[in-house]
Amino acid sequence: MSPFFKGKKNADQNKPVDPMPGAITSSLQDNLAWVKQKFGNSPDIIIRELKIGSSKVKAAVIYVQGLVDNQLLNDFLIESLMQYDSSSQDETRTQMLDNLSDLVIPMGGVKEETEWSKLFESLLVGATLIIIDGTDKALTVASTQGGESRSISEPTTQNVIRGSRESFTENLSTNISMVRRIIRTPDLWVESMKIGTQTNTNVSIMYLNNVVDHDVVKEVKKRLKRIKIDSILESGYIEQLIEDQPASPFPQIYHTERPDVIAGNLLEGRVAIFVNGTPFVLLVPVVFIQFFQTPDDYYFRFDIASATRLLRIFIFFISLIGPAAYIAATTYHQEMIPTHLLLIIAAQRESVPFPAVIEALIMELAFEVLREAGLRLPKAIGSTVSIVGGLVIGQAAVQAGIVSPPMVIVVAITAIASFATPSFAVAISVRLLRFAFMGLAAAFGFFGIIVGLIMLTVHLCGLRSFGVPYMAPLGPYRPVESGDTVIRAPWWAAKKRPGLFSPNNVKREAGSQMPAPPQPRTIKSESTEKGNQNES
Amino acid sequence: MENAKISPRQLFVLIILFQLGSSLLIPVGLTAKQDAWLAVLGGMVGGLLLFLLYYKVGSYYPGLVPTEYMAKIWGPFFGKIFAFLYVLYLFYLAARVLRDYGEMLVIFAYPETPLFIVNLLWMVLVVYTVRKGIETLARTGEILFVVVSILALTSLLLLVLNGSIDTKNLQPVLEEGPVTLIKAIGESVFFPFGEIVVFTMIYPYLNQLKKAKRVGLYALLFSGFVLSVTMAVNLSVLGFSLLSRSNFPLLSTIQTINVAEFLERLDVFFMIGVVIGGFFKITIFFYVAVMGATSLFKVKESSHLVFPLGFITLFLSVGIASNFSEHIQEGLDIVPLYLHLPFQVIFPLLLLVSVVLKNRKKQKKQLAMK
Repeated sequence: MSPFFKGKKNADQNKPVDPMPGAITSSLQDNLAWVKQKFGNSPDIIIRELKIGSSKVKAAVIYVQGLVDNQLLNDFLIESLMQYDSSSQDETRTQMLDNLSDLVIPMGGVKEETEWSKLFESLLVGATLIIIDGTDKALTVASTQGGESRSISEPTTQNVIRGSRESFTENLSTNISMVRRIIRTPDLWVESMKIGTQTNTNVSIMYLNNVVDHDVVKEVKKRLKRIKIDSILESGYIEQLIEDQPASPFPQIYHTERPDVIAGNLLEGRVAIFVNGTPFVLLVPVVFIQFFQTPDDYYFRFDIASATRLLRIFIFFISLIGPAAYIAATTYHQEMIPTHLLLIIAAQRESVPFPAVIEALIMELAFEVLREAGLRLPKAIGSTVSIVGGLVIGQAAVQAGIVSPPMVIVVAITAIASFATPSFAVAISVRLLRFAFMGLAAAFGFFGIIVGLIMLTVHLCGLRSFGVPYMAPLGPYRPVESGDTVIRAPWWAAKKRPGLFSPNNVKREAGSQMPAPPQPRTIKSESTEKGNQNES
Repeated sequence: MENAKISPRQLFVLIILFQLGSSLLIPVGLTAKQDAWLAVLGGMVGGLLLFLLYYKVGSYYPGLVPTEYMAKIWGPFFGKIFAFLYVLYLFYLAARVLRDYGEMLVIFAYPETPLFIVNLLWMVLVVYTVRKGIETLARTGEILFVVVSILALTSLLLLVLNGSIDTKNLQPVLEEGPVTLIKAIGESVFFPFGEIVVFTMIYPYLNQLKKAKRVGLYALLFSGFVLSVTMAVNLSVLGFSLLSRSNFPLLSTIQTINVAEFLERLDVFFMIGVVIGGFFKITIFFYVAVMGATSLFKVKESSHLVFPLGFITLFLSVGIASNFSEHIQEGLDIVPLYLHLPFQVIFPLLLLVSVVLKNRKKQKKQLAMK
């Protein structure tokens, strides 16, 4: 292309499409025209033109309908502007703006701005702009934020028997305040940033400054800053963009909607990532065993909690290799089944026209279809699915001789087991892997299953979450943290924080916290003796 | 060498899983009949001596693997030739063990599956693991060690509860005389204890090099003890005549368990334990072979070699013998004499002599300089 055309093209590009500069001007009319143009005259951008009190200076209040608290805006902001009594007639417009900010507006979060980009940014999160004719500055009032948002409700995905009933909402500042109400120390630090060129989503990270490993904080910030994307609609976007090993089926970032879980993990030195617009808050770094823990593990007594944890690990294996083990045992290793049981199974499988693996695949697929249907259906017809599914699969398939009753039992147990896994993120990975194990079992019997399990272990051991080995504290074994893995050590024995996440500040308890009540027959005995006397 | 570090605990676990791997599958020291368990203990002492030999040679070149220090001791030409032979030896052993385990599975559970297919599945697992590196392997070892321990203790408990242990089978001690015992000890020095020579390729990864000696000795002692107990249990449950006719004595032992008419046919215990053991044995042999080749041929990324060498090992494992008996025969008669003896004893001894002489010369020179 000749330099002539090139030059012309460049000239075209340089010609501003919008004639307005980056900063505010002193003409109110121009400013308002620019706002209208920029927002394409959208009706929810409200421009309220008024005259400031006695001085009769023209001004405008700009806000976005629905993002501001209307009552606050009318009662305090607009009213006080209109009633402003200018003390001296000769004050300049700039002085007037200062006075408004210092003396008149009875609200917090008032700031002077000149850049349009900053002004629009604060306007879109619910601040109110005040522009006065004749100055090239404007005020933003951040505390008019308001509008409709969902109130705090009970968690729906992480139910507990004992513990707090609060769950996060879609509002970032509410979520942060909920954690602040639990951990009341100035060491709880929050840093925020905006991600998404279109959505400008607020993302905040939170950590306990005196506990956290600062390398992890740096790494989290680095990975968040790397993200260049147009939109962040849910924390899942961030999760997938900052994972260590995107090709793994296992979640390497924990998400929760419970403030107490976030608080507990912050106290162990993890970093929380809040994203505006979702009640699911992310936690890094995580270890695999964490997905088997529930909040009430820590609230119940340690022996009960440990037993349920062992049960959950057992459940994990059932949901992973349940159908695979059935296939392997009936296809390759009949000798491993006790004879009586084998006879029963063989008698019932007699009429089934498929090999065990096809039978299992049919049943598993049918179950997955049912589950997916149940998830998406309107609540009113949900029961239809369960009746049809239960009847067709439970009764008819068996009576028609397409599948054998033991297979139905195996699939049902597997299904229940996969629902009993505390973390949906892990349960869904297991759902996927189950089919791979069924294939291995069909081809190689128990050998295939064992090889699959070893490969799974190798895969898990090779993962890292923000530098922390995924299978820690089991592999590599760390004695201190192993008190909170397959078992949960009692609180009075958990003297140290997990050094994996907080290498600098490991002391959690002072001295011996084991309860040591006074010996019996000193205080108690008197009252019981009295009681005896009264009764007699 | 890859850029990785393992802890003394992890090394300990790896050595034990490695040592127990195929020796649980193939009985050791059977020449001594019911004294096999004594032969194992004797073999362990020999293994300890060999370990000290390897440690001594390695201690002159801390942080270097044998393929590297051979070139330093014997000069680049001869050193590299010996290093190459050494790498071939490691590949051969990897293929041998792979064959052992493939045959085991074909005989034990999958008579209609071709050996090649079984070995292929093994190799997929091994290649995947070796690509992940030594750190991942060490962590896997820590977790699977717990699994193996639980299985072993459960089986032992069930055997005791079942009442199948009969110590009379171990008597009379030293029936065949001390000469037979010494012969049996000689056999069990090379297999399994002398195979610890492959760990000379792994010591440089240890994050506390000072502890290498202690960890190696303890691990050998522990695995010798466990092997001896296993042999004694096998012998006392089956008796020598039954044991010597059994393909897999440990399996036969476990099959005798029948507690409360319900806990019976616990073959799957045997299978889990043996597959885990075999996994570590094959993986470690293959890993050190790949690492040896990487350092010998100065390949930048060891992962580039894993796939091609994996295929070679796979085909080698199928091709080294025409049937299982031939394979076993080679393992008992040819391999110890022509492979284990030079690579486990003669070469390390020669290395030690050369390095000591070399250092003496150096010291003399230094003295003369002063």
